[in-house]
Amino acid sequence: MSNLEWRSDSPPVKLEDVTQRFRVIQERPDTLRELFSKALRHEVSYHNFEALQNVSLEVPQGQMLGIIGRNGSGKSTLLKLIAGVYRPTMGTVRVNGSLAPLIELGAGFHHELTGRENILLSGLLMGYSKDEMRRRERSIIEFADIGDFIDAPIKQYSSGMHTRLAFAVATEVDPDILIVDEILAVGDAAFQEKCFARIENFRKAGKTILFVSHNMAQLTAHCDRAVLLDKGTIIDDGDPVEVARHYQSLTVPELAPTC
Amino acid sequence: MLVRDIFRYRELIWVLALKELKIRYKRSVLGFLWALLNPALMMLVLTAVFSTILRFGIPHYAIFLLSVLLPWTFFSQSVSYAAESIVGNGELIKKVSVPKLVFPVAAVVSNLINLLLSLIPMALLVLAMRHPFYLTWLYLPVPMLALIIFTAGMTFFFAAANVYYRDVAHILQVVLSAWFYFTPIVYSLDFIPPHQQWLFKLNPIIYVINGFRLAIYYGMLPKWPSIAASFFCAFVTLIIGYVIFSYYQDDFVFYV
Repeated sequence: MSNLEWRSDSPPVKLEDVTQRFRVIQERPDTLRELFSKALRHEVSYHNFEALQNVSLEVPQGQMLGIIGRNGSGKSTLLKLIAGVYRPTMGTVRVNGSLAPLIELGAGFHHELTGRENILLSGLLMGYSKDEMRRRERSIIEFADIGDFIDAPIKQYSSGMHTRLAFAVATEVDPDILIVDEILAVGDAAFQEKCFARIENFRKAGKTILFVSHNMAQLTAHCDRAVLLDKGTIIDDGDPVEVARHYQSLTVPELAPTC
Repeated sequence: MLVRDIFRYRELIWVLALKELKIRYKRSVLGFLWALLNPALMMLVLTAVFSTILRFGIPHYAIFLLSVLLPWTFFSQSVSYAAESIVGNGELIKKVSVPKLVFPVAAVVSNLINLLLSLIPMALLVLAMRHPFYLTWLYLPVPMLALIIFTAGMTFFFAAANVYYRDVAHILQVVLSAWFYFTPIVYSLDFIPPHQQWLFKLNPIIYVINGFRLAIYYGMLPKWPSIAASFFCAFVTLIIGYVIFSYYQDDFVFYV
């Protein structure tokens, strides 16, 4: 047993036999009369769609796990389950420790509020206290490095500035588990480098990181392990280089290599 | 459960409530002053109308009216805001794991700030019209508490209902305006023939807002049964609203 595993009594992230089902409502163009008669009979046409089927996954403390898969394979659903946005239809999801979801950067931002106000709001949404956010405000602003824009409403931000601020907030709060979902595509090269430097620091500090990317070079360079999702199930799990190769064999006919 | 959650997320609720107010008054020259000016100007209009054009034979009618119109406005605004609060924050709910109750509660809090601010012009009006400034104003926190509890229950119910049936927000406006006229706000319960009064007494909110008029306009305190009735209605409403809300809240994310 390695030291890292010794430190934790239970894994930071553990999914057992998780199935996530969605109702997909079908709104076909109805005539007004059909619409009324349907509404009266309380009839909605929908079908069930299983975004994840019987997924089990355990992420040990300190691991950086890459999650790969084509569009619609269930990556985002998996992350949202771990982040607590969804409650699984079946199975259990257990998360130990504080979690910073970079699922969609700046999800908690309100475009009418200033950058500074949004730092507080999104910190509170992640479950941190006002005092804590006030304490970290300066270093968040420093890392984001967006100058005077910090006191402008964020609707005036460029998408790059938006990402910078959001990444700064999410990583400055010192979470135990960091979820990074395809977010680093927006910033410029210098900022991306800064982000990866920070992610590496997280790794060194023994934190658990879930990383979604279509960029295989980034993935194989940083991750300890990778899982490949396809049609809602994990079809491969192991060494990032191997899994990335497997993924590429899936996508060759339809996808040009990214970046 | 509810109290614990509200306490736990008090900072978030407060920031969301302030955000709502800030957005309501944003880019207006007078900004937050509108929270004071709005009721003040409304009072001026009502006073002018009811002291010159429409005379009901109720002395200081503006005070008679406003003493319950202000709490009613708090109630109806909170419910209207809250009905949209879950759906309106749908994008957020779909991305961040956040306790859903903060949204309707923040709607109540932001409107409560408005209600408290509007008591300032209310007090000025009382002085200006030389209506006695009764000591019973000190009693106001009691009906205020019942009103907040009652309103919170309603907001939970409508916030949840509107997630599943978007028709609710539209129907709500009609319901609120019908409810307004069914409630003794512009008139007094004494205007109703005695044999019909029982019908009006089925309306739970009359017990809740009655205390405001008694304390501000008449300088009296409600009788014990009336106070008990107000808290009974308030707590029943809160329990029903909150139970429905918490039963469905984990599913909201799939419907917003």
